[in-house]
Amino acid sequence: MTRWWRRQRALADFTLAALARRRVKNIGLVAIYALVVFVVASAMFFSTALKREAGLVLADAPELIVQELRMGRHEMIGADAIGALAGIRGVTRVTGRLWGYFYDSVNGANYTMMVPDDPALAPGPGEAVIGEGIPRARGLAWDTAPLFLSRHSGDLQKFEVTGRLPTGSALVSSDLILLDEADFRAFFDLPEGIYTDIAVSIRNSREIDTIVTKAERLMPSARFVTRDDISRTYEKIFSWREGVMVALAGAALLAFAIFAAEKASGLSAEEAREIGILKAIGWNSSDVIAMKLWEGGLVSAGAFLLGTVTAYLHVFLFSAALFAPMLKGWAVIYPDFALAPQIDALQLTTLFLLTTLPYIAATLVPIWRAASADPDQIMR
Amino acid sequence: MISLSSVTKLYNEGRPNGVRAVDNVSLDIGADAVTVLKGPSGSGKTTLLSLIGCMARPSAGRVMIDGRMVSGLPESFLTEERRSTFGFVFQRFNLIRGLTVLENVMLPAAPLGPDPQALAEAARDRIAALGLADKADTPVEHLSGGETQRAAIARALINDAPVLIADEPTANLDTDLTHRFLDIVADLRAEGRTVIMTSHDPRIWQSDLVNAVIEMQDGRVTGAFA
Repeated sequence: MTRWWRRQRALADFTLAALARRRVKNIGLVAIYALVVFVVASAMFFSTALKREAGLVLADAPELIVQELRMGRHEMIGADAIGALAGIRGVTRVTGRLWGYFYDSVNGANYTMMVPDDPALAPGPGEAVIGEGIPRARGLAWDTAPLFLSRHSGDLQKFEVTGRLPTGSALVSSDLILLDEADFRAFFDLPEGIYTDIAVSIRNSREIDTIVTKAERLMPSARFVTRDDISRTYEKIFSWREGVMVALAGAALLAFAIFAAEKASGLSAEEAREIGILKAIGWNSSDVIAMKLWEGGLVSAGAFLLGTVTAYLHVFLFSAALFAPMLKGWAVIYPDFALAPQIDALQLTTLFLLTTLPYIAATLVPIWRAASADPDQIMR
Repeated sequence: MISLSSVTKLYNEGRPNGVRAVDNVSLDIGADAVTVLKGPSGSGKTTLLSLIGCMARPSAGRVMIDGRMVSGLPESFLTEERRSTFGFVFQRFNLIRGLTVLENVMLPAAPLGPDPQALAEAARDRIAALGLADKADTPVEHLSGGETQRAAIARALINDAPVLIADEPTANLDTDLTHRFLDIVADLRAEGRTVIMTSHDPRIWQSDLVNAVIEMQDGRVTGAFA
């Protein structure tokens, strides 16, 4: 072991002993610090997980969605538009989509009902494939219990549940009910030849602006939503919510940094005496600063670990119960959904720097001032 | 040899509560000798001891150790001088509570990065030499007054400093423990170490062990007796 390492080990040993001597005070400090880390980490994990979920959804989404507008409101679109759009050069596939929302008065939940584009996912007549949130919201006794939904006309419609959607992207699948096209039209009393909107696939995504320009000429009253538009909207919504949370947490962090600086500059009589003794018996300023850096490092690492692990459990195990109303926004409407756990090194590094640097910086200057004074002056 | 030339130490200079703790003191302290600074409380003994031991810098004047002027040195050099030249026994011993005797004694050498086992061994030897072998692993707050003092002496000597500085080392000790302390001082002198201490305890400055007594009053040296 080199002399440098032995020195660090000796300083760390002394620091641990010093922390243990003032354990009540230090536990309180770590608890407050961990709470701040917990808030920042929760906001960050939650927002990133939502963005990831959105990214997964968008990965399979068509490049372009065409929606009819009337008085600025989304209106059903006729099947004749499909042929018009298919004639544009560069368009590879045009599909009419059927989807809508269903308010379940039984439990106040909103479901998304949809006819799947992929025939492999399509249930048979009288059947339904449902997201994992539906049985929970409905309090269904078993996974394949039949689903009774009250149609717009008031009568009950029964669907045999033949499958559950995968939980990989719970953001969209949780409240989803997939139906056969005929069942969907019957349920909503929707005639043949009209669709909710139209999905357009494009051969070369770089040509999308040109295709949109041509489509606008064909359908002047329609709205054209590209995948990038949706992606940017998601990004803005979640970043904005995360921003608000991080701003609040940042204020807490600033307050904590001021508190830390106050604590360090107003060293207790015992701490000041200890620094004076250490200096008198031969420790130099850098030894004292190194020892205090160890102390700050151990405190901040402990708080970081505690806050991060708690935030991880809070977000991915308890669905961010404390901050969900702010971060999820509209998604707090039933059914609930769980996020797939995923964090990366960049997130952790950002979080570490965001939460530990202010603390160490806030404590370092006052410690340096105390450590560079003469021992006689410190002890006096 | 430690030499002070026209040394003055002011605290809170220029303020209404300013104090001239040491006032224009010049003196020489011989090596391998026992020197006692005596005088009433507030006479400047402890401040003078701090100036000699490089724990404080004079406001004016010069402090020289073995011909090297140390009073103008920057902090890092002063620390090195303290570490290599002096061992300190403070008035209230100033051991660090919560640590054992062994840990306290090892503390001055810790930042030097020595081999931990060799350091622990040397510290145990020091502790044993002062009759505290069975207390090495005891937290210092559980020691008696005399044991605390001996632990403080062991800590002061761990870096093998040639000069021991002690501030009122017997202030809180009974006669028996004071005589035991003087025995330790005799051993240190026999080892060739210099001992400088403050005391207003006549049992100390009247002892045959003492080579020089410096009398202080109001920050000034008022007498020196060999």
